[in-house]
Amino acid sequence: MTSQIVIDPITRIEGHSKVTIHLDDRGEVTDAQFHVTQFRGFERMVQGRPVHEMPSIMARICGICPVSHLIASSRACDEIMAVEPPPTGADLRRIMNLAQMVQSNALSFFHLSSPDLLFGFDGEVASRNILGVAKANPGLARDGIGVRRFGQQIIEWLGGKRIHPSWVVPGGVDAPLGAETRDRILSTIPEAIAAVERALAWYKSELTSWEEEAAVFGSFRSAFMGLVDQDGNVDYYDGLLRVMDADGHLLADRIDPRTYQEYLGEAVEPWSYLKSVYWKTLGYPDGVYRVGPLARVIVAAQMGTPRADLELDEFRRRLGRVPASSFHYHYARLIDTLHCIEKIDELLRGEDILSPRVRSTGGINRNEGIGVSEAPRGTLIHHYKVDDDGIVQWANLVIATGHNNLAMNRSVKQVAQRYVKSAALTEGMLNRVEAVIRCYDPCLSCSTHALGEMALHLQLIGPDGAILDELRR
Amino acid sequence: MRDVLVIGYGNALRTDDGLGWHAAERLAADPRLAGATVLQRHQLTPELALDISRAAFVVFVDASRGPAGALSVEPVEAATDATLSWSHHVDPSVLIALSRDLYSRAPDAVAVSVGVASDAAGDRLSPVVEAALPDVAATVARLVAERGGAVPATAAIVEPASTTAEHGRA
Repeated sequence: MTSQIVIDPITRIEGHSKVTIHLDDRGEVTDAQFHVTQFRGFERMVQGRPVHEMPSIMARICGICPVSHLIASSRACDEIMAVEPPPTGADLRRIMNLAQMVQSNALSFFHLSSPDLLFGFDGEVASRNILGVAKANPGLARDGIGVRRFGQQIIEWLGGKRIHPSWVVPGGVDAPLGAETRDRILSTIPEAIAAVERALAWYKSELTSWEEEAAVFGSFRSAFMGLVDQDGNVDYYDGLLRVMDADGHLLADRIDPRTYQEYLGEAVEPWSYLKSVYWKTLGYPDGVYRVGPLARVIVAAQMGTPRADLELDEFRRRLGRVPASSFHYHYARLIDTLHCIEKIDELLRGEDILSPRVRSTGGINRNEGIGVSEAPRGTLIHHYKVDDDGIVQWANLVIATGHNNLAMNRSVKQVAQRYVKSAALTEGMLNRVEAVIRCYDPCLSCSTHALGEMALHLQLIGPDGAILDELRR
Repeated sequence: MRDVLVIGYGNALRTDDGLGWHAAERLAADPRLAGATVLQRHQLTPELALDISRAAFVVFVDASRGPAGALSVEPVEAATDATLSWSHHVDPSVLIALSRDLYSRAPDAVAVSVGVASDAAGDRLSPVVEAALPDVAATVARLVAERGGAVPATAAIVEPASTTAEHGRA
């Protein structure tokens, strides 16, 4: 008789999900699935809304990374208006996007994943939380608070509030940067850099102790995708797509991301509200690729800032050019964060950063717009079609977590097959299944949107377990 | 007045769950709280521990599951475990514990809450919870007047340990 183990809910991630692990007659794992159990449906909700409302509406998708949606949505609106933000407006958008990266990466590493790294995956469950970290390693916990606060404060200082700021608008931003705010941000940068470098030093000192987990935490050959600039360095705002295979060969390079539909397919499975995005030429489900911090540090030639480049060199010396394991998202996330802080510093010191010219204006000049940027978890695509009055007719969102869905499912199965033994289940076994998902830092509130009709199967089940009624769409 | 921090939190798009959010708006303009810091938040996050460590008296304002419109005041003690800190939001008692463990300060703290009538989608409070808002403001002002005046003997003021130290293994 076959049976299954259910982990519900998955903890320390953003959103709601569960994992089912399927066992054969001998109790061996035959399959495992990562189910995203929440449904949002913003692609449908926005139909009929004026396009200028889109950034504000789309930011409501998520309370963790609203700025990412503001950026991608505003860029799609720029296209529809056929305008380009003034250079200073674009740089100010970049700064807010980088601040968003910092605060979200800090949440993932310090608050959600560090308990596993600090106490071990078999550690006392009562300690594996932020209070446990605060007691065992207060310096690490303080740095987590400090780094996340750094990013949140920049968002608040620029946008007026830290969650759902409305400062980023179609055409640019709605107010220039003042010298006082610039100087205030600049004054906080040295400590933010120091905190991330301390975390990196600690992480690297412990790296070898996680080798066993790294060998099976989503360790498989796949492609990686991210945005790069004209020099091939990482770009978070308006780069070109680069896709690298497991051997370091480029599957595609400097693709205009607005042509994403030529390369990326979107599949829906009946057991999850999270769609699976795949590389078309490799087909479904073989076209697995990964996005996010690990992909960014893999596909980029360099990060493009001095401290992060030194760390990237060391990362490559330790792990190779294309590390196979998703465990290394943690390491990459810290390098990513360091780079973002350095980049904020660089942009704030730009000659024209206080220019009052920060917004271009325009009407409805195109019926379609695609905005692409890097969000903390990876490449984010907003695609809208509007009528001549600017009323949204259709929208498609390709969210970072959707790009990673196939990889997450493969990772869950790999970890379950290595660690889960049905004869003697332990909390540590199940925690590893959850922890491999946390490597990707999935944002499920962001990613549960359907392209067109979502397959839906409703069952009304009576108290005796009998199906009383059934509805399929 | 010693350093007073008021944190009103909740989801302003889920009717009465936004009680703390609406209360913070009112309290920020209340002359009885002049000099206090009033923060408006969707939820409590670990970063607030730093703000809390800098205060001598903290008031959390939130919605609760009690009888609709009923106001209650409860002391907040530092948590001994972190059962509510599995994700990116935390409980008031966890924040007090974090402040104590990370910054060596556990300020005097209370939670002022009002029972909800509804948490359905909507950006307005129900009439019964709306009617409780003046009482919330008066209660917070009274607490601040009564307890915001003297630093309790237990609230040791200690600078956080150096953040330049390298992180050690637990």
